[in-house]
This record gives sequence, C-alpha cells and structure tokens, in this order.
Amino acid sequence: MRLSGRGIVTGLVTIFSLASVYILNTGNATRLILSLLTFAGIYGLSAIGLNVHFGWTGLLNFGHAAFMGMGAYVTLLLVPHAAGREGEITTSGLHIFPAAVIGVIAASLLGLLLGLPALRLRGDYLAIVTIAAAEIFRLLVRDLEGLTGGVYGIISYSDSLQKYRPKLLDSLLKDIDASLNQVWVGVLAWFSIVIVLLILRRLNNSPWGRALRAVREDEDAVRALGKNAVWLKLQSFMLGAGIGGLSGIFLAFNYGSLQVTTFVPLLTFYIWAIMILGGVGSLSGPVYGAVVFWVIISETDKIAGLIFENANGQQLAGVRFALVGLLIMLLMIYRPSGLLGKKEELLLNVK
Amino acid sequence: MSNNKLLEVINLKKSFGGIQAVNVSNLMFTENILTSIIGPNGAGKTTYFDLISRFQSQDDGEIYFEGKNISSSQPYRIARLGTVRTFQLTKVFERMNVLENLMFAGSTTKNDSFISSIIKFPSQKEYEEELKNKAYEVMKLLNIEQMANSYARELSGGQKKLLELGRAIVKSPRVLLLDEPLAGVNPKLSEQILEIIDNLIIEGKTVLMVEHNIEAVMRVSARVVVMAQGEIIADGSPNEIRADEKVIDAYLGSTNE
Repeated sequence: MRLSGRGIVTGLVTIFSLASVYILNTGNATRLILSLLTFAGIYGLSAIGLNVHFGWTGLLNFGHAAFMGMGAYVTLLLVPHAAGREGEITTSGLHIFPAAVIGVIAASLLGLLLGLPALRLRGDYLAIVTIAAAEIFRLLVRDLEGLTGGVYGIISYSDSLQKYRPKLLDSLLKDIDASLNQVWVGVLAWFSIVIVLLILRRLNNSPWGRALRAVREDEDAVRALGKNAVWLKLQSFMLGAGIGGLSGIFLAFNYGSLQVTTFVPLLTFYIWAIMILGGVGSLSGPVYGAVVFWVIISETDKIAGLIFENANGQQLAGVRFALVGLLIMLLMIYRPSGLLGKKEELLLNVK
Repeated sequence: MSNNKLLEVINLKKSFGGIQAVNVSNLMFTENILTSIIGPNGAGKTTYFDLISRFQSQDDGEIYFEGKNISSSQPYRIARLGTVRTFQLTKVFERMNVLENLMFAGSTTKNDSFISSIIKFPSQKEYEEELKNKAYEVMKLLNIEQMANSYARELSGGQKKLLELGRAIVKSPRVLLLDEPLAGVNPKLSEQILEIIDNLIIEGKTVLMVEHNIEAVMRVSARVVVMAQGEIIADGSPNEIRADEKVIDAYLGSTNE
C-alpha cells in the first residue's frame, strides 16, 4: 500500500495513543493494552459494517446495536449455555462455527426485515426508524425471558469458543499478564477484520461498490438510469448488518456473560464515533478509529486524575466525559474527514 | 414524420393542493424526431416529465410505451424499457469521478450484481473494459475526456449538464427525456449540445426536450408542444407554433421573438 501523508499521521496518532497507555499505566500496561485492543478489534469490526451502510451507501443507520445483538443472541442460544432466572442449562448445541454462521445470517436477515419497509424512507427518516427498531429489538429480547434469558442474560457459553483456543497461544502468553480468554477473542476479531477488509476491498473496486456509491450520491439519478436503488440499498443493509452481527458475537464472548443492556443505543453511538474518527467511507479507517477511541475512553479518567489531583471518583467521571468531548471535537476540527477519510469525499454533509 | 406510436398518454392528470399542474387529454410522441415542450414557468412541463418517467404518480390517466401500459411502473423499469431522463437541476454523482459516473450509467444490472462482483468473473472484467472504452468515446464526443479522473463536483455547471447527457447516451436508450439541457450553458456549449442531440436523432433515437431557449427550440425541433397551466394549448411544427395567436399571448409575447 502506498504510504500517504494521511496514512503516516494515522499511524502516528495510533502509536502515540497506545504509547500513552504504557506511560499512564506502569505495572499493568500489557494487560490493559491487550484488553483495549480486543475491544478495539470488536468495535472496529462493527464500525466497518456501519461504514458499508453510511460511508458507502449513505444510509443513516442508528440501530446498529440491534444487528450486533441479533448475531450475539442467535449464536449463544445455539451453543451450549445457561440462561434465565434459574440459569437453566442447555448442554446440547451446535459447534461454535456453524452457530456463528447462523448468527451472522440472522443479523443479515434482520437487516432485510428492517430494510424492506424502512429503506423506502430517506435520510433522517431512516435514522428515526432504525433507532426505534433497535429499541424494539432490545425490549423484545428483555421481555421474551423464556427464549432469551431476559434481564438475567446468558452465561456459561464461553467454553464453546475457548475449547478451540490453540495451545500455542497459551504458551506464548505464559509469562505475560493477560486474560487468555480475552486475547483469544481479540485474535479472532482482528483476524475477522483482515478477512472482512479483504472482501470489502474486492467489493469496493467492483461494479457493485460503484453502484452503492452512486446510490449514496443521488438515488433519483440511479433510478433514472434503470437501476433498482431500493434493492441495492437492501443488499448494502444486509452486508453491513451481517458484519455487525459478527462483531456482536465477539463482543458476547469477550464479556463471558451476556446482558441485554449491552445493546443500548449508546453502543450504536460509540460505533458511529469510531467510524467518524477513522474516516467515513475509508476502508480501514474504522480500525484506527477504534484503537484511538478506546484509548480515549479508557485513559481520560487517568489524565483527568493527573490534572485534578484532589478530585473524587464522581468528579473525575465528569471531567472524563468533558475530555472525551474535547478530544473528539479537536479531531473533528482539524481532521473533519476523520483519520483516513479523504477530504474530497467528506461525507458528513448529509443531504 | 413517422407514425409509430412510441409514447402515448391518455387523460393524464396531476394536481397539487387544488392547482391543476398537468391535465393532458391525449398526447402521442412518435419515433425518431425531436419534440420540444415549451411554455411559461409553472406550466407543468417538468411535472409532465416526472409523470411519464414515473418519478411522480399521476392522480388519473394512463401512460403507454409502445402500446404497453406503464401507468404504475417503477421509474427504473421505465428506464429499462429504454427511456432515460435527465433533470432540470443536474444530478451527477458528485463524489465519484467522471469515468465512474459514465461507467455506472452504462453498466447492466447483471454486471452490477453482488455475486459477480465478489467472484469477479473474467467476463465481468471484459465487460468493464468495454464499458470503459464506451465511456471514453462518450467523453470524447462531449469534449470532457480531460476530466475523466476528476470528481464530478469539480466540473462547471455546463460540464455537469454534459456529463448528465453523457450518462444518458452511454445507456443508448431509445428515448431521451431532456429537462432543460441548455439552461445555464454558454452559447458555444449550447451549439455543441444541440449538435449532439441532432446526431442522436440521426442515429434513430427519439428525443423529448423541455427548453426555454426559443430560438434553439424553433431551429432544431421537428415538433413543438406548448403547455400553459397544465394543458396543451398548441402542438405543431415550429412554423405553426410561431404563428399561433394563443401561444404568442401565453408565452412568446411578441412576434418579433
């Protein structure tokens, strides 16, 4: 890949972010960085899916958490697990791989189901419908306790993935202070990012990718040229939802127990922030965006603590959010197209 | 003038909040000529275009393309039958380059499909090569080949008009609906566009055009339809229209035009 000025800046910002974690956390930095990279991998993967919706196709999807949730719930309910108030154990189940494939397909189908009526709407109307649909999904999952475990969530499913953790990983991390389970999930998430990015790059340079960009630019012109814009949007919606579903599965395995509160709208907005930070419409931008975002989220309280030495935890939490806002604002002022986004293709001026 | 019915509307009606925008009892377009629709602002010309390309739905009435009822078809279906339109306010794909604009326009649904794009069949590669050549031909015709790799947003207003026309040409449709192709275009470029339209007619295309440049309309059109307040007040050859009292009253103003 050609090294551009943008690329160098992005690399430097990412390395600086990670270095700051080392400096701020003497003692447990390795553990923290590995945890942070796992989260960044999972959220980055999700943001890549969202980028297919918004960056490629111009679809304002504010319900991404539902696709992540769909992937997670379907997969976990298919593998051996325990769920609900009594922790009712289901010992039989599929292997993780077919279960995850079904989970991804289910997330994709949720995209289809939601897209069929919603994609006839434009811009902000779609945003409102998607945010409502995601909330309906979350409340359904919460209330259908018999099926989903409801507010009690799902537990004891981690083994279905962890039993495939290679011995090599264990021996590599023997002397390192890290959670083996988490690192394994992180490795898989980053591996998925590579695969997904390779597939997306292929699609981006194809007539299909070109057609999605045309839909993003002007739907009427697409129709006037004899193309079915709704069908193109639907395909984009399904692809991005599937990627979101995959990231949801990793998120569930990273936590070890699944709570329905994970999929609140805040999750969607985190993914949006990551996509915008990384560069809307750029292929790998969300990955860097995710790393920088997680460093900002996890380290700002420490920075706040350095600035205000006598502050208590509650006060620090407030300062922390102010700092997060400040950092994101600075990034947006000096790099409005994100870390890797092209200025000529600045996409945030939605029609 | 041939008598092949190509596009026919019967009792087409559309109103916006009590105001009759279009009320055309019978209008037929024949193949292989340039027909211009003129009329004062708000006469319903663009609404009429929107109705026959199905970007708006009529309140009442029927539309036939080659005898086929298309009264409730989707806009993209109309385009697939061979009728491609442009817009009064140009709609180019701003953040795509000129070449991509044209290649997307020319590409078939099969070529655009997800499956063939992910597998990348060799046939797709060949087709894309062909498409690229075709796009360059059109750019040459429109004299914008030096802009091939520029973002469409960087084009001037006139060049955007050309690009939109180019996109329609790449599709090689049978009917082109051009909504004010000369608006905001300098005289030299206007001549160029008129020449391109003329060549399209010679190639056997049918062109319908909404245009305010009366001098150009009268010079190049085989038939002129005059609309006022949603209705057709005159329909005939340029010479007949020029002499029509009603048209002079409603639109042309004076005979010295």
